[in-house]
Order: sequence, then structure tokens, then C-alpha cells
Amino acid sequence: MTEPAFFILTALLDAPRHGYGIVSDVAELSRGRVQLKIGSLYGVLDRLVVDGLVELDREEAWQGRLRRYYRLTERGRHALAAEAERLAANARIASARLRELHPRPITGPAPS
Amino acid sequence: MSRLEERYRLLLRLLPADYRREWEDDMVAAFLESMDTGDAETSAYVADYGRPQLSEVASVIALAARLRLGGTDAPPRSYAWGEAVRLATLMATLAHAVMVTAGVAITTWLSGNIAWLPAPPPDWMPVAAGNLWRTAWDLADYAWLPAYVALVLGHRRVAQALALLAILPPALTNAVRQAAGEVPPSASPWVMLLLDGVLVLAMAAFHDDAAPVPRRRWLRALPIGILLVPVPLFAVQATSQVLRLLDWPGLSCVLVSVATVIHLAGRRPYRPARALPWSLALTLLATTILALRLVTMVDYGHQAQHATLLTIAAAEAAVLLAVGAPLAAMTIRALRRLPAAPTEPPREGIGP
Repeated sequence: MTEPAFFILTALLDAPRHGYGIVSDVAELSRGRVQLKIGSLYGVLDRLVVDGLVELDREEAWQGRLRRYYRLTERGRHALAAEAERLAANARIASARLRELHPRPITGPAPS
Repeated sequence: MSRLEERYRLLLRLLPADYRREWEDDMVAAFLESMDTGDAETSAYVADYGRPQLSEVASVIALAARLRLGGTDAPPRSYAWGEAVRLATLMATLAHAVMVTAGVAITTWLSGNIAWLPAPPPDWMPVAAGNLWRTAWDLADYAWLPAYVALVLGHRRVAQALALLAILPPALTNAVRQAAGEVPPSASPWVMLLLDGVLVLAMAAFHDDAAPVPRRRWLRALPIGILLVPVPLFAVQATSQVLRLLDWPGLSCVLVSVATVIHLAGRRPYRPARALPWSLALTLLATTILALRLVTMVDYGHQAQHATLLTIAAAEAAVLLAVGAPLAAMTIRALRRLPAAPTEPPREGIGP
């Protein structure tokens, strides 16, 4: 699973969101690191819909336009949980190895 | 509809029609919302005079490349175009990589480091060595070699960066020389620069959905290509003057003509799915090289042997047209027979 797909699924976890709502939430969740462009968002979103991880929730009128809201499917929730577990397991392995090799935090060069 | 919306919808026309039917309005709504500043006056100004940012344009181009130049899960027609562009890009980058090795050999020969070859003619002696900066500048062209390897190994962005490194220094040198009157103004370097730019853009076809390039085959193609093209050319060049009449567009015509003849002779009518991407790739290359050959003939007006050069160039173009036209006709017929909608596409990896 790519990082944008991971964050898009995470953004849809608590509530259905529309396109720009997903972009804003992903930026917030990733602390500004993942700034999705609209072309990139829909490039990921269309695949998530085709794969059955995300589906259309509803359409709402907003300023004379129809906003489409998307929601996570049960399959999407499982896929996200599996990916989060995989990433957490990887992080645990790296943290354990780091603690083993560098028991104390490295604070900078030793004073001369 | 605001001017900004018109501009964004125009940009979205890069996407296939069926994709736009499904997603365009939603993309437009999200885009306009992303451009909303919250201040009525500023938003009204942006609606009239704003344009999609370059990063937005790039994201739509990347999406269009993924959809139109499809990967393994794409509809058959999109998959055929995708494979063809990837094959044509690999072949063109391979040609650059192979030919820069000839540049290395010729430089070594001219500097007198290949003792067993006849001495080069006096008027071919190298220009006096410049400073280190100038030498490094001249060596930039060799970046095609690592660019090709990076493309085969799946590092598309690295390949694009290296290709730009190979393209830009010669282009700048040429611009300065033409502006200073050191060389007569000519169209050829600019047309070739344009084609190299298109080649860098075409590398976008190697997106995440595309199957990986069969590494062994395409890496093996590098030494084989060197043995088949620059080595014989170098041997002839060291012993005769005849290759002075063969320029890069001419050599490209010969190579694409030979590749087309081999492809046509080896086609198996009962395996059209496998042959189509190769047919389409060679048709794309033949069309491009034919245009390059015709445009660059204009520059022969300045040359001393222009009548001979024009005759040779016309013959090169005629041969390429003679082998390329039947291939193009067959390819177009085969493409039309392919369904545009998803069915079971051919699942052959790209490979020679």
C-alpha cells in the first residue's frame, strides 16, 4: 500500500469525506508531509474504489455543485488495519535493534 | 463557469473520455475548493485570472500517462499504447547509450591512445584541451549510459534526471555558439533537443502500474548494441572518409529501417497480441525519425557537399518510408480491432 493510499484510508476512518476534505485531512494527519494534488488524489481514489476499499457515500449540493462523499468499506477497514499492523511490526523491529545497538540516546559529539 | 474552471477542465481533457465521465465534475469541485482563499475579493480575482499550479498540472499529466499508457491491469488498447511507448523509449535511450560509447572510443583514438589503429587525419585532431569545467561539460553527454541503466533497473526519476543532464549542456553550448556566430544557425540541434525532451517525458510511461522491465534482456542489449553499431562504425571511420556523409538522423533511419525489416520478417501472424506493442513502438520511432530526417535536410544547404548529402538523406527517408508505411498500416488495423474496454489484455512483459 502506498503512503498516499494509507493516509486516504486513514482520513476516511472516522467519517465520510469529499475530495478536498480528504486532501485537507491527509495534510493534517501527516503533519503537512503528504500534500496531495487533485490529480494524485483521484489517481489513488479511483483505484481504491475499483479495489472495493472505498465507496461512494452520498452526494450533497454545495455552492451550486455536487460534492461526492466517500466512505471506507469493511474491506478497506481490514486492509488499513493489516497495513497499520505491518508498519507497526516493522517499527518495533527497528526500535528494538536501535535500543540494542545504541542503548543511550545519541546527544551529539563528546566534549573535548 | 469561471475562467479558472475553464482552464482546469481544458487540462482534464488530457484524461481519457470514459475516465472524465466518471470523475471530472468531482475533480473540478475539489480543485476549485482547493483554490478558495476564504476572502471573497481574492477568490473572485483567482476565479478570473488564476491558473492551475505547475504541481497540479504535473499531477494530471502523471494520471493521464498512467491511464492512457496503461500497465498490466489496463484495457487492451491502453495497455498496447503503454507497452509501445515503453518499448520505443527503451530503444531510443539504448541508442543514445550505445552511441556515447562510440564517442568515448573516438575521443581516445583522436588523442592517440589506440596505437594499433591508423593515425587520424590531421584535420580531425582534437581541439586544444580546455579547462576542467569545459571537459566536464563535454562529458555530460555520457550521462545517457547511466540513464539507460537506471531506466532498465526501474529508477525512472533517476533516469529522467540523468537524461536531462545529458541533454541540457550540449543545448546550452549550441545556443551560445549560434548566438556568437561561431557556427551557422541550424535547425537540427533544436529538433533533436525537442525529441530528447519528448523522450524524457515519455519515461513517465514507466509508472507504478507498468510491469518491470526484463532486466537481463535489456542490460544484455547494451553490449550487443555496442558490438553491432558503434564498433563497426568506428572501424570504418578509422579507415575511410565515407562516414562523414552519415549523420545522426541518417544513422537513426538506417537503424529503424533494419529493426522494422527484422520485425516484419519475424512476425508470427498467430501471435498478434505479442507483436502489436513492438509494431506500434517501431511505427512511433519510424514516424519520429522520418520527420527528423526531413526537417534536418534543410541544414544541408550550408554544407559543401550539399547535393550528395541531400541525395543520401532522400534515399534514407525513402527506405524508411518504404518499410515503415506497411508496418504502420498493419499496426493501425490491429489497434482498431482491439477493444478499448477492459477484457483480458495480453500479459506479455516487455522484452526484445
